[in-house]
Amino acid sequence: MEVSYDKESRKIVQAIERFARKHSLWVLAYGTGCGAIEVPPTMTSRYDAERFGIRGAATPRQADVLLITGYLSVKTLKRVIRTYEQMQDPKYVIGFGSCTINGGMYWDSYNTIKLLDMYIPVDVYINGCMPRPEAVISGFIELQKVIAEGKAEGARKYKENLDWYRANQQKIIHNWNMPDYNW
Amino acid sequence: MEVKLQVENEILDKIKHTFHSAEVSIPRKQRVEVKLRNDLIHPFLAYLKDTLGFKHLSHISTVDWLEEKEIELVYIVMNYDNLVEVIAKIRLDREKPEIPTLREFWPQVETYEREIHEMYGVNFLGHGNLTDFILEDWEGIPPMRRDFDTVKYAKETYFNRPGREDAQDVRTTITKKSGEEIPELAKVYSVRHLE
Amino acid sequence: MDSSTWIKILGYIITPITAFVVGVTYGGIVRVITARVQNRFGPPITQNFWDIIKLYSKKTAVHHGLMQHWGPIFAITASVTSLFFIPVLKDSPLWLNNSFNGDIIFLLYMMVFGSLGMALGAGQTGNPNSAIGVARGLALMVGYEVPFVLALVAIMIQFKTTSIAELMAVQDGFSNWLIFQSPFAFIAAILAFLGMMHYAPFDVTFAPAEIASGPASEFGGKYLALMQTSGSIFTFAKLVLFTDIFLGGAGDLVTLIVKTFLLYMIPVLTGIVNPRYRTEQAITFFWKWPTVFGIIAILIVVL
Repeated sequence: MEVSYDKESRKIVQAIERFARKHSLWVLAYGTGCGAIEVPPTMTSRYDAERFGIRGAATPRQADVLLITGYLSVKTLKRVIRTYEQMQDPKYVIGFGSCTINGGMYWDSYNTIKLLDMYIPVDVYINGCMPRPEAVISGFIELQKVIAEGKAEGARKYKENLDWYRANQQKIIHNWNMPDYNW
Repeated sequence: MEVKLQVENEILDKIKHTFHSAEVSIPRKQRVEVKLRNDLIHPFLAYLKDTLGFKHLSHISTVDWLEEKEIELVYIVMNYDNLVEVIAKIRLDREKPEIPTLREFWPQVETYEREIHEMYGVNFLGHGNLTDFILEDWEGIPPMRRDFDTVKYAKETYFNRPGREDAQDVRTTITKKSGEEIPELAKVYSVRHLE
Repeated sequence: MDSSTWIKILGYIITPITAFVVGVTYGGIVRVITARVQNRFGPPITQNFWDIIKLYSKKTAVHHGLMQHWGPIFAITASVTSLFFIPVLKDSPLWLNNSFNGDIIFLLYMMVFGSLGMALGAGQTGNPNSAIGVARGLALMVGYEVPFVLALVAIMIQFKTTSIAELMAVQDGFSNWLIFQSPFAFIAAILAFLGMMHYAPFDVTFAPAEIASGPASEFGGKYLALMQTSGSIFTFAKLVLFTDIFLGGAGDLVTLIVKTFLLYMIPVLTGIVNPRYRTEQAITFFWKWPTVFGIIAILIVVL
């Protein structure tokens, strides 16, 4: 009896947590590529993402969502990995624009990564080059759906498959000179 | 026409008078193109800056002449008074490109020279800060040289999403899948692309 | 134990919860008002509750040292303790009334304690933005404490009392409110209040676009939630203190809500339409006009 009661109460707590997480997404303002220019219109008067509880966070420690806005060079990827590892659980990643999906117009570039999800786990992709603010907001709503279903498990996936991700990251970052974070 | 290019011709005469070995031409209005010997670039730019009033260095550009085994450096300097730009070109040996730095003339060339060093492997003597700039930990030949195969490197180094192996023309791909005819007007471009 | 003790214990539980709920709701309303001023739709009023619940539900695995963990706890201790010594309602058995002689002076110290705890905690995180934020916050505090203390000293001299309850008893009618009895002290105190609430133009401490939220930049998850909870309670405590001293206190909750809300709109509406002062500009401002008004208030009382 007690076990079932415990499960029930945990379910209720989980439902409240998920609802709060879904309606309060703090986005790390980290402009990596040209897509960063689409974020200010998304946040300001015309499209007003704050309606959905989407808000900018100042530092990685406070953020929930890492928005990868466009292409990532090897140098930027290093910074993105550090930023991602400094964020606190539960954390989500949105790949923004076709560059993060398959390289986009940089498909043959010598310094741009093509598949973001080989290096950090991505929960939602937004396609387009560049996606307009409407598409960005629809991507966020998709993320909210994923969170409500409890399927946004990117952070857990990263921790469980850390060796695989590290191997991929170290394949292109030769001088691995990064601190270890104690999540 | 002659009257319009008066300023340019004056500059051309002065340069020819001072540097006899320079090949000078006027490609168009407000442009003077100069081809120089390697060791003359410093005195030439000093002469332009101090005597002719070309105070502004707009850009340093680089061209890789693979077939001629040379690397060309293009210095673009500008005069604010008559708005003429002088384009000075020198050719370096491709195997061992070396040229003294220009930092004492214009401090801002540090950035240009670092980038050229990184992308083309040109060594600027006396620069002092030729460290990693945009590429970090780059190994192998500099990426902007023409014998560097960027597609091959990208395929070897990075993961590629299946279905993105070739750079197909979008219209051709779509018509291949749907079986639809390409319109005559669009065919010109598609065919040219496929060749 | 008799029933009055139980009621008092209930008061100790209910007061902080009410303060939290009211403070967070005010925060939500402020976000909506800001959005409307900026021609946006704005988040729902309950948004701040969801933010705080989410922050409490986040995992936190950051360790920089002992003071980093104690800083937010100091902050919330200071806010709740300050709240306990501010009479929420006049002559109410349930709501706390721990007033004693000298509690104004006690509160002056208590209200600084939380900021100092936060400063120690933020200082240990080693984040340069935190250090800059702490330095700015303490400098700003030096600025606004001067007119605030001057205003309170003027009132204490005028009514020969250092107890909030006695001050509330003095203001028995609308015309006897201290805002009318000693207007210069009110002006000095309300200008200091602008700085205390950290809204623009005095938001140099947290300056999000400039130093990445200042002292809080290394705090995430539960620590940030604690800090926001403490901030909400402290906001309510300060509003009630000002209502008690200048606006005659309140006999029931509705009056209290109306008065505190109107008072809260002063820094909020000032903040929405203003840019940000630099630290030295802010301190110069506080040491100029509010201080002059405070000294005038004291002179009027003494002479």
